[in-house]
Amino acid sequence: MSLATLTKPWAAFSYGFLDASAKRELRRKMLKAIAVPGCQMPYASREVPMARGWGTGGLQVTLTLLKPTSRVKVIDQGADDSVNAASIRKFLHRVSGATETWDTLDATIIQSRHRVPEERLRDDQILVLQVPNPEPLRPVEPNMSTARQMHADADYGRLWLVLYEQIVRSGRVMQGAAYPSLVNGRHVMTPSPIPRWDVPKLNMARHLTFLSAGREKRLYAVPPFTRVEPLAFSDVPYKVEDHGNLTCSRSGVTGFFMNEIPQEDGSAVHELSDSHLGIKAIRRAEGEAAPIGATWYQNGEFRA
Amino acid sequence: MTLHATPVPDAAETRANATFEALMWALSRPGTVQPLPEPGHGAIAEALVDRECRAFTDDPALAPRLAAFGAALVSPVHADHAFVSLARPAGVASFAQLPAGSALYPDEGATVVAEARFGTGQRLRLTGPGIETTAEITVDGIDPGLWAARAARCRYPEGIDLFLTCGAAVIGLPRSTRIEVL
Repeated sequence: MSLATLTKPWAAFSYGFLDASAKRELRRKMLKAIAVPGCQMPYASREVPMARGWGTGGLQVTLTLLKPTSRVKVIDQGADDSVNAASIRKFLHRVSGATETWDTLDATIIQSRHRVPEERLRDDQILVLQVPNPEPLRPVEPNMSTARQMHADADYGRLWLVLYEQIVRSGRVMQGAAYPSLVNGRHVMTPSPIPRWDVPKLNMARHLTFLSAGREKRLYAVPPFTRVEPLAFSDVPYKVEDHGNLTCSRSGVTGFFMNEIPQEDGSAVHELSDSHLGIKAIRRAEGEAAPIGATWYQNGEFRA
Repeated sequence: MTLHATPVPDAAETRANATFEALMWALSRPGTVQPLPEPGHGAIAEALVDRECRAFTDDPALAPRLAAFGAALVSPVHADHAFVSLARPAGVASFAQLPAGSALYPDEGATVVAEARFGTGQRLRLTGPGIETTAEITVDGIDPGLWAARAARCRYPEGIDLFLTCGAAVIGLPRSTRIEVL
């Protein structure tokens, strides 16, 4: 071995921003994450030009996957045009030459903060969810080593207790986002703070999902056709948000997850959370060709 | 940051990216045949292995390449990546010694890459994550003792993740896949 064999020609920066050794480490961990669905795999979480907690985990996974022919969509709470989403998408394009897109049907990689698109994802699509807190046991066990032992023992009794206490105190399960879910019948994961509405979309899905927490330095995955079962008692079934009858005030679409927009008179109107679905619906209403894919929910009901 | 030109990946980056994509989809959909950018195990090693890894190989041609990537060449007991021939019982004996991780640290289970022939030989039925109902594959050039050895080491979530290659094609068999020998 000589210095020459270890040295590469000078380049202003690595393709896809991350250097080759960072990508190799992520690749190794991503493979292990697929092999043990829902199990959190530690990784180094390199520095990226963005503060930890703003999607650096998802960003590193996306940067590892990117190639010039990738078509990348980035959403923040369903919106493509929020500052965080737009900045990440622009950055991904700049460092890789990948095409930016807003359309779920058009994208090969979808990086998302806290939503799964309403249109069904296909076999060839990869969903990358940004995760603030990857540990479902943290509210019941702050000690990381003890929590790891609990995962090893599949000791999830305290999570059931939390749900039970919520039902006793409030009459219903109060967990809104990041609903703990059993993956492949073995590991409980937090599906990142997606609403309850989105959790069934991960169960036996056709697409591959990566969940990555940059600040916490852990990533995990849900491969296609993997069981994702939200923890629920047999006599208190899992319920998604009651949004099936709400109508979007801008696009007129009914039956999807909505954002509530408070009005000055104290009332509220609703807007589609998946903003590009709303844009496409408006375009269609105006007579433009804007194909909308099959959706997971039809008439406000989940269809497997 | 201002860039004046669209970044273009070099040959090594393109190869590593395409190789990983094949491995990723192979592991996500066990039993499907995914295309590698080039035949052989060199590109797989290049995409995954570096100075943070401990590798085992019984292929004298691959050993210097693994060393050049920075991996420590170790015995199977200590290896996190193994590039082995599983055609003979000796290869299966090495396989059986590889670390399978633990329930505490499932990520310490080894990744194994081995040569096989697809489409002839032993029929296997696969079930588990990534497979809608069941999948069937036929592989040849693998010692029949491997499947029992694998089952003994894959006590989920512990286990060893296996990639079989046939020329420039790869099949992934993660530890989560249950294999029924038909």
